[in-house]
Formats: sequence, C-alpha cells, structure tokens
Amino acid sequence: VNARPAPDDRLSAYLDGELDAAERADVDGYLAESPEWRAERDAVAYARDALRGLSVHEVPAGFWEGVLSPELTRARARRRSRLPRLVAAATAGVAVAAVVIASLVIPSPDSVTPRVPALSDSHAVRTSVSDEPVSQLAALSMITPYRR
Amino acid sequence: MADGVPTWEEVARDHGRFLYNVAYRLAGNDSDAQDLVQEALLRVRKGLERYQPGSLEGWLARIVTNVFLDEVRRRRRRPADALPEDPDWVLPPAPAADQVFTGLSDDVPAALASLPDEFRSAVVLCDVADLPYEEIAESLGVPVGTVRSRIHRGRRLLRNALLSTGETA
Repeated sequence: VNARPAPDDRLSAYLDGELDAAERADVDGYLAESPEWRAERDAVAYARDALRGLSVHEVPAGFWEGVLSPELTRARARRRSRLPRLVAAATAGVAVAAVVIASLVIPSPDSVTPRVPALSDSHAVRTSVSDEPVSQLAALSMITPYRR
Repeated sequence: MADGVPTWEEVARDHGRFLYNVAYRLAGNDSDAQDLVQEALLRVRKGLERYQPGSLEGWLARIVTNVFLDEVRRRRRRPADALPEDPDWVLPPAPAADQVFTGLSDDVPAALASLPDEFRSAVVLCDVADLPYEEIAESLGVPVGTVRSRIHRGRRLLRNALLSTGETA
C-alpha cells in the first residue's frame, strides 16, 4: 500500500500549471482523497490570489522625467564606469613597473660568463711565488678545464 | 524598433510601468524601487545589443531582480531576514470557505515585504511578473526544484503573515 505523502510544493506548481501530466494526476488524486491536501491548496491559493490581485503600483509623478534626462543618465553612467577604469589602469601600471624592476634587478642566466680559467690562472701566478702549501694547490686547477 | 530590438527609450516608455511595479514589489517602498529601476535601466541600456527578441518584460523582470539581489548581497541581510531553518513550521488553520480574498487590503504589500528576500524574489517573479518557473530559475541562478520550493514556502509565509495581521478576520 502506497502511503499518501504530506502536502508539499507540488501544490503551488499545480496551481501555476507547472506540473507534468503524471504529477498532476498524483495531485488530483491526493486532493480528491485528503482534506489535508485540500487545506494546503486553499492556503497557498489564498496567498497566490492576494499577490495576483494587487493593483499595479504607479510610478511617482516626475520620476521618468528625471530618469530619462540625458544629463542624469550620462552622469550615472560616467560615475559607474570611472571606478573600473581606474582600477584597470592602476593594475596595468603596477604590472608594467614590476616587469621593468624585475628586468633591472634579476640578471639573465645567459648573460653570465664564468671566467674561472682566467681567475684560476691569476691565482696560480700569485700562489706560485708563495710558500703557503694549500694555496699552491690552486695551480692544479689549470690542468682540469672548466666545464658547465 | 529594429529587428525586434527596442531602443532604450522605448523600453522605458512602454515597459517602465511594469518594471517599476516589479521593482516596487521587490523593494517594498518607492525610494528603493526608484534606485532599482534606475540601475536596471542602465543595465538594460548596456545589454540591449545582446537582447534576443522574446519576452521583453520577462527579460526586464530578470534584470531588476538581479539588481535587487545584488543590492541585498551588498547591504548584507539582516539576521531577522535569514531563511527559516525548519521547513515544517506550523501552518495556521485554513480560512473558512467563505473567507475569500478580495485583493484590496493594504496588508498584502506589508506581508510581502516581510518575506525573506529569496522567497519574495521567487513569488514576485511568479505572481507579479508572471514568469514561468524555468525563467525564474534562470533569473535566480537556482534549479527549478528550488524555485518550486521557494514559491510554495513563500506563499505559505505570506498567508501566515496575512492571517497574523487579521486579513481574514
């Protein structure tokens, strides 16, 4: 035996003609059998009729003249469009500055040319006239060419 | 009107009354409704090039509702307007069969204004702007099932508010 569900939002959709045929048949059956479903339908129909019965709220006198005035419309549009443009300009400025600073501060890896052999040569010359034993080992670096 | 696309002035002149009425039912007062309409018309003006000929008033209702909801989000909802957590709140007794609503009471706008924003938007788009559920769902950015639920719950809340103010007494 299928238990009858409690009244639900299908009732508003029923009143608005928004149910498919199967759902509509279900609701018709519940309404025929259940005082609870009928009471709920009456309750939402009451509110629905109240809203749909409202008269149109008229526009206050003079409102459209102000809204449609070209000066007011342009002023509002300018005011609204100014802020996004300022933000965009500021963002672009910061981005350009960041790129310029980065290009000045951070050296390109390709521009580094190690001068290890030359430095090693000069160091070897200096240490060759010295009696300090560890420094004299620097001359050995001339035997092994520098490779990256 | 060229190719079914109205000019901005035609929109304001021919559909302004409808637009204002929807704005007023959403906002609940003339001052806020005027702000909504002015903002909506600016969006209409920008969006007219993209307008696809069809239900112009449906399109206007969606725009003004989005303006309204944007404003609601901006102001932040008051705690008193939070959505009810309990979906099974007590439903007062149904009115007697002879208590037929006349549609003339001043209590209805006040009761409508007392609804949480999400419910008010849904019932206004349905019962004032007369949009189908599918378009309401598109306007509000929610599934059709959510629209159905909000309309139903909104109507129940509205009826409760009317009963509490002695509408059927």
